[in-house]
Amino acid sequence: MENFFKKVTKDVDLSFAILLSFCVYVFFSLNIEIFFSHNISFAILERFAVLGLVGLALTICIIAGEIDLSIGSNAALCAVIVVKLTDPLGAPFAMLIGLSVSTLIGAIQGFVIAFIRIRAIVITVGTLMLLRGVALLIAEEKTVMLTDFRVPDFITTKVLMYFSPASLTVIFIFICVGIFMRYTKYGREIYAIGGARKEALTAGIPLRRPMVIAFALSGFCAGFAGTVIGLKSGTAQGLGLQYLLLAGTVAAFVGGVSILGGKGGVLGAAIGALTVNFLNTGLVFYALQVHFVQLFTSVLLVIVIVFQTMSRVFDSRQSRKSLLATIDERKTTLLEKKRTVLGK
Amino acid sequence: MTTITQDNKSPFSSKFLQFYKDRTLLAILLSLFAVMFVYGIFFTDNYLTITNFKAIIRDAALYGIMAIGLTFVTLSGNFFLLSLKETASICGVTFAMGMATGFGSPDLVGNFLVSLLAALSVGVLSGVIQGYFVGMGGNPIVVTLGGAGILYGIGAWWSDNLVINFKRPHDAEWLGTGSFLGLPSITLAFILIAIAAELVLRHTNFGRKVYLVGANKAAGRATGHENFSMAIIVFTICSVCCAFVAVAFVAQMDSAQSNYFSAEFGSSGDMTILVIATVMVGGNSIMGGYGSTLRTSLGAIFIAMVDNMMVLQGFNSGPRIVGVGLMIVFSIIVFGLFAKGSRAQE
Repeated sequence: MENFFKKVTKDVDLSFAILLSFCVYVFFSLNIEIFFSHNISFAILERFAVLGLVGLALTICIIAGEIDLSIGSNAALCAVIVVKLTDPLGAPFAMLIGLSVSTLIGAIQGFVIAFIRIRAIVITVGTLMLLRGVALLIAEEKTVMLTDFRVPDFITTKVLMYFSPASLTVIFIFICVGIFMRYTKYGREIYAIGGARKEALTAGIPLRRPMVIAFALSGFCAGFAGTVIGLKSGTAQGLGLQYLLLAGTVAAFVGGVSILGGKGGVLGAAIGALTVNFLNTGLVFYALQVHFVQLFTSVLLVIVIVFQTMSRVFDSRQSRKSLLATIDERKTTLLEKKRTVLGK
Repeated sequence: MTTITQDNKSPFSSKFLQFYKDRTLLAILLSLFAVMFVYGIFFTDNYLTITNFKAIIRDAALYGIMAIGLTFVTLSGNFFLLSLKETASICGVTFAMGMATGFGSPDLVGNFLVSLLAALSVGVLSGVIQGYFVGMGGNPIVVTLGGAGILYGIGAWWSDNLVINFKRPHDAEWLGTGSFLGLPSITLAFILIAIAAELVLRHTNFGRKVYLVGANKAAGRATGHENFSMAIIVFTICSVCCAFVAVAFVAQMDSAQSNYFSAEFGSSGDMTILVIATVMVGGNSIMGGYGSTLRTSLGAIFIAMVDNMMVLQGFNSGPRIVGVGLMIVFSIIVFGLFAKGSRAQE
């Protein structure tokens, strides 16, 4: 019975996300003539290559019950490294170095969090600043640029009408992470320490392993997002990419994660990222300034947060009411019993 | 190593050695840092002058006041706000609008009091709204992340993302660039606010409530001190501090723009993160219930001292941001290790 109930609530979150993204898509399709076309779908998937990854990174962290604020800096650092090393070493080797640096940073963060047992927001605020400084240091306070533009050209070639090498890779990463989170022991451990940490620790799950894995995965995803951005535009800045945190958080929360952890999934992250992409792509056609895009994205976040918080408050009130009702019922039955006994 | 501890029978030194053995890396790092700091003090040109020290305090005052406001939030167990610089920027835009255009009515142009009140009330409004959502049970980080985007968007929309200028002589000069008794007025404000905050936290009912709710939310609720009203009050205090800093900064610059407090503010990148860094470097517990505004003020002065030293040594912004970042991470790890095994870990 309880399992069934859990499944239903999970589906409700997911269906809410699907409904929201559908509404946004239909709204823009009705208002903008060319929104429902092949080229725009290609553009949306191109944006998805970046935002989806950041959303996935934050989703994994929030499932583990923590939040990683250093995602923007991690992405910027990886972008700077990759763009700087692509000219002398070639793109594959540069990507290898950049991604391993990002993954390692994530793993170290996870280890420190599990070892000292502090909240992730505390340490990731520090690393946000530290990694930004390191990125500035590596870029020597300048904008790093590619000189050979064959790599950006290759990344953005159209394949199969809608896809590009970048978005295909990202979809592949999504499928891999989804299988990992769903069907392996290590993925389920991440859910366990997020949903009910004390119970999980008592049941014998080590805190260190899932934490390191979760943050390494999120570092990898953030680094990959930075790589895609850097290689696509051919430039990278130490101080850039800070907007990724807001966009990724919105994607994760629209996708149905709960701030308490242990809820949500990769499919939700994909749908959430698509919703944010529909919004961003649609707003482009209205020729608004950048701060309006930020304003609307934040409004979306606040709506989702208010919805979540209110439903939680409503749930707790309902459960309290039902508890009180059962207590009253028991009281009345006890009183009746007493009366019947006394009457005899 | 063991022979040394066996030789030293006296309790104090053996205890000290035990401590050193337990946390060797920590002790080495601490001493290294102390040596570097002392070296910097004596071997940086023009560092040990009164003018430079005044400049340091002046630097520290701007983010120190915001950090004192944030300390209330942190002490009450609501982590921190990610919307500090956006609150400051929208208040700054409001103040500059009042000074430049008088909100549409020509009588009010350049009226300092009206502009100040408008800026402060914008701060109060944003604090109350964010505090309401946090008090209802929202996560402070996510709520203020959303609030940051909205505040920035409204500020940029209102000012059309342009720089708003107002001409000099204006009524706010005494706050921006004036000075009393040889000290800049913003420095004096910093000192006064620090003393007032310390008094409020230590010697009033409200201050003790902040500590209680921060240290143990369940106990607070059981004794009738809900986090709901507390969150609204502390968020309002923090936002009002941001508004005050914004007014002082705008009065100094004679202009305001919606991204004045964004990237590359001062030297350390981002105003929000710098203020959070100040609270952490001071050694306040982020989980709440432990710390004081005195620690925060000292943290602000310390960060300003190190930053000033690096400027005088001729470092670029990259190494300086790395320096502040290292200081935050280092202090988190140090205080985390000290608090390990005590109540502070949830």
